[in-house]
Amino acid sequence: MNPEPFLQLDRVIHEKGRLAIMSMLAAAPELSFTELRDALTMTDGNLTTHIRALQQGGYISVAKSYQNNRPLTTCSLTPAGRKAFAEYINLLEQIIRQTRSK
Amino acid sequence: MYLVGGMWLGNFQPNVLGKQGGKNFALASCGFVVQSNPMNPNWAEENLQTIRTLMERSAVYRRALAPIMLFAGTAGIVAAVVGLYFHVNSNLAFSVLWLGTAVVAVTEALLITRRQALHAREPFWSPPTRRVTQALLPPLLAGLCIGGGLLIVGNHDVELYVSLIWVLFYGCALHAAGFFMPHGIKLFGWLFMAAACALFSVVMLQDIQFGIHEVYGHWVMGFFFGVLHLAYGAYLYLTEKGKNAA
Repeated sequence: MNPEPFLQLDRVIHEKGRLAIMSMLAAAPELSFTELRDALTMTDGNLTTHIRALQQGGYISVAKSYQNNRPLTTCSLTPAGRKAFAEYINLLEQIIRQTRSK
Repeated sequence: MYLVGGMWLGNFQPNVLGKQGGKNFALASCGFVVQSNPMNPNWAEENLQTIRTLMERSAVYRRALAPIMLFAGTAGIVAAVVGLYFHVNSNLAFSVLWLGTAVVAVTEALLITRRQALHAREPFWSPPTRRVTQALLPPLLAGLCIGGGLLIVGNHDVELYVSLIWVLFYGCALHAAGFFMPHGIKLFGWLFMAAACALFSVVMLQDIQFGIHEVYGHWVMGFFFGVLHLAYGAYLYLTEKGKNAA
C-alpha cells in the first residue's frame, strides 16, 4: 500500500476531537460552543483547547456576542478550514480506493 | 457522489445512522480511528463513516415533532367540524376559519418549540430552526397568496380548489424542510403533494361534468391538516421519545 496519502493527512485535523469539531462545523454555517460541547459530550476545557488549536491553524473562526444578556460563543469554518477539510476527505477517499484496489 | 451540508463525501455511502442509531454521538463513542496506521485497511472507512454521521447530526433539526403534529391535527379536525356544522361556506368565512386555524397552529408550534428549547437550555432560534423556517416560508407564502387571491376573485365554489392548492404548497413546504429534518417529513410532504395532484385531476373532471359542492373544502382540509397530522403525530409520539435537540 502506498503510504503517500496517509502522510499527507493534515495533522491538525487528524485528531479525534478536532476532526469531530470540523465535521460538525462543515455541515452547519455556525454552531455555538454549547451546541458543540453537548453534541460531542466534551468538557469545556477540552473543547476550548481543540477550538484554540483549530483557530491557530486558521481553520475556524470564533465570534463572541451576547444573547439575552448571556455570553454566546459561536464557531464557524473559515474558507481555509473548509478547503483543508475537503482535502482531508479526498485523502481518506484515496486511501479507501487504494485499500480496495489491493 | 454524496453531499452532506454542502460537503462532498465522494462515492462512499456507509449506513452510519443504522450503525450508531442516530442518537448518541459522544466523542468517546463516535468511532474515529485516528491513531490508526496505513496497515489497518478499515480505519479510513470508519473515519469517513463517523464524519458523515456527525455532519448529518449537525445539519438536522431534531426537536420533538409529535406534540406539534398532535396539536395541529386536533386544530384541523376541530376547524373542519366547525366549518361543516355551522355551514361556513362563503369565501370570506372559509378563509377566516382556516387561516385563523393556521395562525393558532403555528403559534402553538412556536410555543412548543420554545418550551423544548428552554427545557434543553438551548437557543430557540438555533441554526437548524432557522434553516427549517427558511425552507418552509417560500412555499407557504406562495400558497397563501395564490389561495387567498383565488378566494378573493373566484366565485362561490372555489373552496375545494383553494384547499387542494394549500395542501399542494404545504406538501412542497414539508418537502423543502425535510432536507433539514428527519427523513419522514420529506415522505409526509410527498404524500401531500401526490394526493393534492391526484385529487386536483379528479375534481376538475368531476367539476366539468357535475359541478362541485363547496363543503368538500372542509372535508379536504380536515382530512389533510387534521386526520393526517394526528396520525403522523401519534406515530411520532410512539417512535421519537427522548429526542429533543436542534
